[in-house]
Amino acid sequence: MTVLASYSIKGGVGKTATAVNLGWIAAEQGLRTLIWDLDPQGAASWYFRIQSKVKGGGKALLSGKRAPDGQIKGTDFDRLDLLPADFSYRHLDLLLDRTKGSRRQLQQLLEPLGDDYDLILLDCPPGISLVSENVFRAAWGLLVPTIPTPLSVRTLDQLRSFLDQLEPARAPRLLPFFNLVERGKRMHRETMETLPERYPELLPVRVPQASEVERMGLKRMPLPAFAPRHDASVAYRALWDELRRQIEPTPRR
Amino acid sequence: MHPVQLEYSIPDDTDPQTLAAAIQSHGPSLAESPRTLERRFLDNFDWSLYLAGAALEERHWPDDPEPARYQLLWHDLKQPAGSPIEQWCGSPAGMLDDLAPGPVRERLGPLIGIRRLLPVVTLRGRVHGHRLLNADDKTVVRIMVEDQTRMEAASPADPAAATKTPLSSRLRLQGVRGYERELKAARTLIEDDLGLKPVETPLLMEALACTSLRPGSYSSKLDYQLDPTQRADAATKCILLDLLDTVEANIDGTRSNLDSEFLHDLRVATRRTRSALSQIKGVFADPLVDDYKTRFAWLQQITGPVRDLDVYLLDFPHLRDSLPAPLRPHLDPLRDHILAHYDSTQSQLAAELAGGRFRTLLKDWRAFLEAPVPEPPPAKPSNAGRSIKAVADARVWRMYHRVLDEGRAIRDDSPAEHLHELRKSCKKLRYLLEFFQSLYPKDCVKELIKQLKELLDMLGRFQDQAVQAAHLRETAVEMHREGTGDIDTLLAMGALIGQLLSTQQQARGQFAEVFAHFDNAANGERFEDCFRSKRKREGQQ
Repeated sequence: MTVLASYSIKGGVGKTATAVNLGWIAAEQGLRTLIWDLDPQGAASWYFRIQSKVKGGGKALLSGKRAPDGQIKGTDFDRLDLLPADFSYRHLDLLLDRTKGSRRQLQQLLEPLGDDYDLILLDCPPGISLVSENVFRAAWGLLVPTIPTPLSVRTLDQLRSFLDQLEPARAPRLLPFFNLVERGKRMHRETMETLPERYPELLPVRVPQASEVERMGLKRMPLPAFAPRHDASVAYRALWDELRRQIEPTPRR
Repeated sequence: MHPVQLEYSIPDDTDPQTLAAAIQSHGPSLAESPRTLERRFLDNFDWSLYLAGAALEERHWPDDPEPARYQLLWHDLKQPAGSPIEQWCGSPAGMLDDLAPGPVRERLGPLIGIRRLLPVVTLRGRVHGHRLLNADDKTVVRIMVEDQTRMEAASPADPAAATKTPLSSRLRLQGVRGYERELKAARTLIEDDLGLKPVETPLLMEALACTSLRPGSYSSKLDYQLDPTQRADAATKCILLDLLDTVEANIDGTRSNLDSEFLHDLRVATRRTRSALSQIKGVFADPLVDDYKTRFAWLQQITGPVRDLDVYLLDFPHLRDSLPAPLRPHLDPLRDHILAHYDSTQSQLAAELAGGRFRTLLKDWRAFLEAPVPEPPPAKPSNAGRSIKAVADARVWRMYHRVLDEGRAIRDDSPAEHLHELRKSCKKLRYLLEFFQSLYPKDCVKELIKQLKELLDMLGRFQDQAVQAAHLRETAVEMHREGTGDIDTLLAMGALIGQLLSTQQQARGQFAEVFAHFDNAANGERFEDCFRSKRKREGQQ
């Protein structure tokens, strides 16, 4: 089982679309895939027409009263399941803070799912918090959608500084890629030209800004499921191919 | 993770439209476009999966857009209602090495080894999918109505001209995780309202029932049930006829080189045939025996070169790994050299097996074996009319003593040829025991074969390492001549030869101990109990 997190300190960079589309592609290619919607806004759950509700809320999950296994819902797509969001996740930091081993909770909750899934994708809320630290501990890689703008790059720098402070063995792999790219914008082009020097780990895939991606909310399904030949779908597939190359042979975390 | 999946038989007189209407009237639903589904049930030539209680299904949707994908499903035949294990691949399944790591490959490995997966049954059908939806238009249950037709290609050369046999249609009900209540309601619709019954026969078994295939029908193992009182010439014909069946069963697979075991089994059956001809003495006329011994020796000889290359290739990873790590990459040109010669050697073999000489041999041999034995039994050859039990007693007893004599004569400084001769005698004894095992107490013969096998393994190691080392040297000369092996490769091959000879010496050092294990009082008594006393009894009658 490989755990990947779609994560960014900054909001509005396309984390959910990334998790949802990559999850769909991975499942379509035969991987047993689970998306955990950790964002209390529940956008990923919405895309899959699944109610943002977990019995007993985050508290029941963290206390062990209810195992994640029993809360999982199948999506409309083969091999793709979802652990829905819950509005109580907005207090997840506080709940984690009260539990013993507060940075390992998420990892411990995921471990029993190892036999059921080949891939778990965490759709994370923005910000840097105790939830994020749990994500860093649990995930093999942090997929960081990065808009080629100074503000987005700044949060990438902040993230790298934070990860640099972790023990190397416990730090996830940083996997940034350019998202919501508008080639017509000079600033985007310049950033994409210069940033790879500082971030050689930048994945060689650029996902374009496209109104079709926004239609995911209207269609309530992943982009490649209704627009398989769209440029953005093609880019997500290329992104998954690149990730798969980096993941195999499957690391275990 | 595995969604609940239930399967129902659809009676032949059910109108598909009525069925679809009933599903649609259940609540909000979405009918999907029908898809063509091709299913192949795969097994190897030995039926290893079936005999282990498993079925391997490969699904493929030929009309789907590229790239083609294949879903492999591992079914437990003992639990037809259980969820299959699945794995996806980008090409049809064949050899294990070509399959990516995954849960199905993990299960296949110990069962199929180096054998190719071959289609046992091919089905083609249309799948009419329905999705039951909730208020959010979310799929909560899936229903698939499938018709099936068994496709049997008239000839491998013309797969399009297939015979089509329709099978019963099936309805599959697939739950979606987290929506158990909705599945329960759908079950009520299918079972109570529509009155469909769960299927009792796995699809593979239903498809097999309308073929002439008998699962598990092929095995290269000897399992004759001989009548002790049967005339020796008739019983020997039974043994040889079975070996001929094995030779013939492996011809197509050998010619098209589906996997190396076809040729291996063909060669073993040939060797056993030659051994039976020479060891079950005095049952057929000498000129006939001599003629067929020569002709089967030819078969053994023409099949040798490909087998030698197969052994090399199969053993190559082990040979490579036996070298120190820095030398290993230098051995790769050896594999390239073998592969470069493989195709032409295999083509030569395929041509010989398609040729008149081989066909005539098989035809003549079958005609002789299927002809009735002469009545009354002839006085000569002298064993023809004796009981097979009496002949078997005498032959085994004699060969046992030959093995003892040859083995006891071997000293630490005996030449390698003496061990080689002993190995040949041991093989003859083993074949005799295997041919005649049904005439003796099962446990006793089983133990004798086991003891003999240990001795043969040791002698085999001794001989094979020497043969391989000599062959490797010849190959090194060849590669040097052809310019395909540089100095590093030749040195790595030299290191390998050194290792092989060293292993050979280790085997040689074990001889006395292993032989003593065979030549002990308990084994002697077993041989005596089984073969000697009864021989005397036969003689007194």
